[in-house]
Amino acid sequence: MPLYTVSHVDNLRVCVVMVGLPARGKSFISHKIVRYLSWLSIKTRVFNVSSYRREEYREQPSADFFNPNNEESKVIREQANIDAIKDVIKWMNEEEGCVAILDGSNVTKRKRAMVAQILRDNRVEPLFLESFCDDEAIVKSNIMDINSTSPDYAGKPPGYALEDILTKIKYYETHYEPMDLVDEKELSFIKLINVNSQIIINKIESYLESRIAYYIMNLHIKPRYIWLSRHGESQYNLEGKIGGDADLSERGMKYARRLKDLVQKYVPNHDKLEVWTSTLRRTQQTAQFLPNPKKQWKALDELDAGSCDGLTYEEIAQRFPEDFAARDENKFEYRYRGGESYRDVIQRLEPIIMELENQENVLVITHQAVLRCIYAYFMNSPQEKSPWMSIPLHTLIRLEPRAYGTNVTRIKANIPAVSTYKEKGTSKLGESQNSAHVMAGEVITSDVANQ
Amino acid sequence: MSEDLAEIEEPKIPGNYSARRQNRWLPPSSRGDENGANDENERHVPPHVHEDVDEIHRTVSRFHVSPAQLYSTDSGKLYHAGCICIVLVGPPARGKTNLSISLCRYLRWLGVRANLFHLGDIRREKTKHVPFEFFDPKPESEEAKRVRQELTDLAVRDVLNFFQNDMGQIAIYDAVNGVSSQRRELAHVLQQHDVKVIFIESLIDDPKLLESNIADAAKSPDYINWDAEEAIADYKKRVSVVAHSYEEMDEEELTYIKFINFGEKLLVNRSKHDFLTTKIIFYLMNSKIKKGSIYFARCSNNKLNFKSDPPLDAKGQEYARKIFDTMVKHYQEQGHEGLPADLQVWTSVRLRTTQLAQVFKDVGLTVTHRPEMTQLNPGDAHGLTDEELKEKFPEDYHRHQLDPYHHRYPRADCYHDLALKLEPLIMEIERLTNDVLVIADETVIQVFYGYLMASSCSDIPFLKFPQSEVTKITYNAYMNKATRIKIEGLQE
Repeated sequence: MPLYTVSHVDNLRVCVVMVGLPARGKSFISHKIVRYLSWLSIKTRVFNVSSYRREEYREQPSADFFNPNNEESKVIREQANIDAIKDVIKWMNEEEGCVAILDGSNVTKRKRAMVAQILRDNRVEPLFLESFCDDEAIVKSNIMDINSTSPDYAGKPPGYALEDILTKIKYYETHYEPMDLVDEKELSFIKLINVNSQIIINKIESYLESRIAYYIMNLHIKPRYIWLSRHGESQYNLEGKIGGDADLSERGMKYARRLKDLVQKYVPNHDKLEVWTSTLRRTQQTAQFLPNPKKQWKALDELDAGSCDGLTYEEIAQRFPEDFAARDENKFEYRYRGGESYRDVIQRLEPIIMELENQENVLVITHQAVLRCIYAYFMNSPQEKSPWMSIPLHTLIRLEPRAYGTNVTRIKANIPAVSTYKEKGTSKLGESQNSAHVMAGEVITSDVANQ
Repeated sequence: MSEDLAEIEEPKIPGNYSARRQNRWLPPSSRGDENGANDENERHVPPHVHEDVDEIHRTVSRFHVSPAQLYSTDSGKLYHAGCICIVLVGPPARGKTNLSISLCRYLRWLGVRANLFHLGDIRREKTKHVPFEFFDPKPESEEAKRVRQELTDLAVRDVLNFFQNDMGQIAIYDAVNGVSSQRRELAHVLQQHDVKVIFIESLIDDPKLLESNIADAAKSPDYINWDAEEAIADYKKRVSVVAHSYEEMDEEELTYIKFINFGEKLLVNRSKHDFLTTKIIFYLMNSKIKKGSIYFARCSNNKLNFKSDPPLDAKGQEYARKIFDTMVKHYQEQGHEGLPADLQVWTSVRLRTTQLAQVFKDVGLTVTHRPEMTQLNPGDAHGLTDEELKEKFPEDYHRHQLDPYHHRYPRADCYHDLALKLEPLIMEIERLTNDVLVIADETVIQVFYGYLMASSCSDIPFLKFPQSEVTKITYNAYMNKATRIKIEGLQE
């Protein structure tokens, strides 16, 4: 059963219809909503209108394609919108989709009324989401991001994208009608003004829609990194035991010292970094040499192994053979006797995810299972895979959330540590041989030495 | 331990290592010694005999733990959100008091230490008769100005005292607050004490809605023993006194939420972006001015194995009929012809509840089945008596006595799990304005009831909902009212 079973899940289907000029972060928001709702076990998908254009206009159409006086392209664009909506409905009917996101521009009232009509005729609730922005600095930084990540501009020089998008924006501006509470008061909509400096919310009709609005309010689109690290190697890690509240091992302590240097070298604005730890000793000990302000979060504590706390995997396999097998069978749902499951951890991590979305410069020092859940959120990994992710010790992980995905970089501290990774079907520990369980992205081996 | 470790302080809040020992929810004084586990004195004392009282106006104690609270901290503050004062703004009859109470209910349920501060209560306490001029945000006479200032000062003092001495995290201050300069001043004073301020302005731009709300407001404690017509007339006079000098919020630098027509439209200015603030907005999106009643009825056979799902037997069919008759009779006594056409019936997906609801479906009512409403999973404790539990799971048994709300027997859910699972339904109930009949297992009713009546989580596992009664909770601006309706003709 999903974590947040949406009420009426059988008959409630929502299509989030994006509204706004180019470079207003629409795709970014679309992908974020997918990430968040999927993480909460709600089936969600983005339908990008531009990918429904006829083949020859799909990639890199020139700005003239968006000229409102270009009758031919107007027909193509309208058709693309209708095809995308048809696909939304097909997906909902055939694959029991729950939330679709129609990522297009929908800048006119006429078009929005039409989209709302088609969706309602097919028993899908339209929820419009307008990103309105007249702050040029924000628009410009969005353009630069699009230039470097959008498939539309792959291989083009930076100046080209800027020029092209600005022309596109000009064309759209000629017939852009922002949403308002007069003519469109009957539509459910959320309007974000200059990112989040003002928000208007109209006629939210269901719990699910309110949940989406709630999430969007926490987003910001400023470029930033999120830094993650496991605690240094602990005494329990050395002994192969899980859980507990042990101190760091000697090597773990070495990592704690080196972490300070890694942060100095790799984290821009490290003087403004905030450090979050769990309430357990090993994360606080890992953070102890960092001069930055620290917050302890109860919600970041390691998955509670209940009766198995303090045991080795071999002992668990011996004492609770059924449990051991059940956990391997469905690691996401399995709840330790008197303890927690991965699903339980996701539940308590929600405030953390919301806060992380708000923040600009945070290093989170926490535990293996908790990091798997956080990583799964940012990487959009499926539930059956995320509990098996290998998150190495003594490694600083950098996440860079972008419009079209999250970039990952691992910075190895170059301090040896035991492996705490347990492959399915064994009680032995050792790094995964399965490449699907290895984290994505680039690996840097730090040359920072202990002072 | 090496010297590096010396600067590490013992975590003040035990980690999950100690949480596993199930004492995270208890004050230090009641934490049992690990080994003295079987001391009889230590056993959980069952709470007072349960009375149906909405506890929303009871101030929360130092060790209060809420139904959906995920964790506790020594400072009593959650989510690193600091202290927040929610200041209600709006002319009379805009449902401010109603809104402040329901918001407080939700926040407390989440585990936030929240209290209400109604200026009206302070005024009533200080003085019996106030001239109309008093209600004017900008009164002309010096006397009225002085009284207003005095009362506001008292309220602010109470709010600060709550933060500084009672471990409060959210204070909800309910008054008209209709003057811009005074709002700025209030924000300034509170911010000086490190309190974040969020204004919520409740407005109505639909005349019909306003009219019906004035009729409701004229039933407030100010109008006890008044003739209804006269009370409405008097209240309207009060509304007009305020209206002429009322200033709508547009202070760009303040964080405010305009809450228009009870949640139909919301405008958020300078969102504070922390978890609690957005959670408050989230609640506001779902909040309506609640009307009507929620009825709770048990399903017929509660001795069934958790995993089995047999159809309703003859006895169950008869029970269904009796509930139906009881409901019809109850509505008739209230002056209705029979069941209202917009009565919704909610059940779980178990046959014992869905088939029970069939009799309501047959007369054309909407019946919906909610998988979230499946009863608490008793796990390995299923079907065991107290003695057997003590024998089979001595350690678990002891923990369960200490904290029956949060403790899970092996493979079981606890009440806390159930409460988190039911949150979407609780939100949905907040959105509805018609009556609802909930047919569910006792554990589910306990959690719903706990939310609606602001029960403490130490009481919820002991709430009793016999099969021979339908429990009715009626929404009311000031406090919810629970009554029990006997199901007639049942053989015990």
